[in-house]
Amino acid sequence: METFKILQNYFQQLPIELKFVWILSFILTVFAIIFTVYLKILRISLRKKEALTIKYQKEYEDLLLSFLFEEIENNELSNKQNQFIKKIENEINNNFKREIIVETLLKLKNEVSGEIETAIQDIYLKSNLKEHAYKQLKSKKWDKVANGIKEFTKFKVKEAYPEIKKLIKYPKKEVRKEVELYLVSLFHFEGLEFLNDLKISLSEWDQIELLEELQKLDNQEIPDITVWLNSKNDSVVSFSLKLAKIYNKYETVETLLKLLDHKNQKIRLQVIDVLTHLQVLDAKDILKNSFKKRSQEEKIAIFKMFENICELSDEDFIVENTTNSNFEIQYLAIKMLKEINEKAFNYLLKSQNKFKNKELLKFVQNN
Amino acid sequence: MKETKNIVLAEDNTTLSQLLKFRLQKEGYNAFIAQDGKQAISLIEQHKPNLILTDIMMPFISGLEVISHVRNKLKSEIPIIVFSAAGQEEMVLKAFNLGATDFMSKPFSPNELIIRIKRILM
Repeated sequence: METFKILQNYFQQLPIELKFVWILSFILTVFAIIFTVYLKILRISLRKKEALTIKYQKEYEDLLLSFLFEEIENNELSNKQNQFIKKIENEINNNFKREIIVETLLKLKNEVSGEIETAIQDIYLKSNLKEHAYKQLKSKKWDKVANGIKEFTKFKVKEAYPEIKKLIKYPKKEVRKEVELYLVSLFHFEGLEFLNDLKISLSEWDQIELLEELQKLDNQEIPDITVWLNSKNDSVVSFSLKLAKIYNKYETVETLLKLLDHKNQKIRLQVIDVLTHLQVLDAKDILKNSFKKRSQEEKIAIFKMFENICELSDEDFIVENTTNSNFEIQYLAIKMLKEINEKAFNYLLKSQNKFKNKELLKFVQNN
Repeated sequence: MKETKNIVLAEDNTTLSQLLKFRLQKEGYNAFIAQDGKQAISLIEQHKPNLILTDIMMPFISGLEVISHVRNKLKSEIPIIVFSAAGQEEMVLKAFNLGATDFMSKPFSPNELIIRIKRILM
């Protein structure tokens, strides 16, 4: 009591600035103690959760393995196997346990094929795990919806199609991506039908993931992509152009030529790239006639295209551009001229006084 | 009496390694499980197995390093089957260059693996 009074008197005599510092130090100390205790509790709970996860993983892993070995022996479900299914049914109402069960099933399903994969698939379908995934699709939380879709994709549940298709316009892009992957993984090229009336943009990353998924398929017979090439959604057009290039869709050439006048420059550049890849000679005249009105990037892309397919009939066009103000175009024009008509190139060398960039001519001559 | 053959299996997916262990034991082999490359090397040195099954991607020491250790340091010709995931084609080529005997791409059928093992150990 005495000590407290001495401290109180001491504190009252202090100047205001020092009082402020003391109060602030006290508050910060209290915060530091609370924070330390919080971190300690958090760490303990995380470790407990981790230990519990390992314990359940081990338990489900053992049960799963004994189920699988019984399965190999007989075609009918044994008592032991039915008990396992019942155990799953009882435990899946607990979200924590349910996640571990699904994780354990997937951990093995992703690594094996054949009858063991089918057996794991059966466990998923025979227990109520599927019903819980359906519930997740109706959740208000987007991450749960995405998880539900992912689960259906991994366990190849085709019957969830009507429910999942409804989510293609979901506001959160992560959910839309899962829907797209579900459709493509399970319904292959037919799953791309969602592109027909897609209004939302398909990000570059989504496109890469879809293409990767498509390339895993055994059947690489791609349907008609003209509808997507004519889509009003630029991202769909861009994606279908990638398909045209990867799957060498020569039958789309007519549509591709029309797309050379697309309003979006990025699309036009992509079209030139696809035409270059497909080596479409019909595109040459169209591009030569519209060359002047095109942007600098397109002009360079056109010259890169001509680099692979130029012929003697393109000489006038090439000569005209040997004096182009753009260095890259000029270089490509001179190089191509040397390739298709050496005489014309030599004539150019003789009249090099007209050229500002004589070094370039010499470089092409020596290379 | 027929001698039981030893197999070292290096695989970090515990569920898969347990499944394969049971299958191998059912077929009459002694299976030693390693969860990473480091454990695999010590099991190989300790048990001198007749066959090694190893995943390519593993913690601490990769499957490629395990093959290299067996072929270059232990100078052993023990047959080695590697497991690879999709998109690891370059790794598989490296594994063959280092001396792998065979490979299986994940997901694989355990039955097919057993057939390959039987053929190699015949």
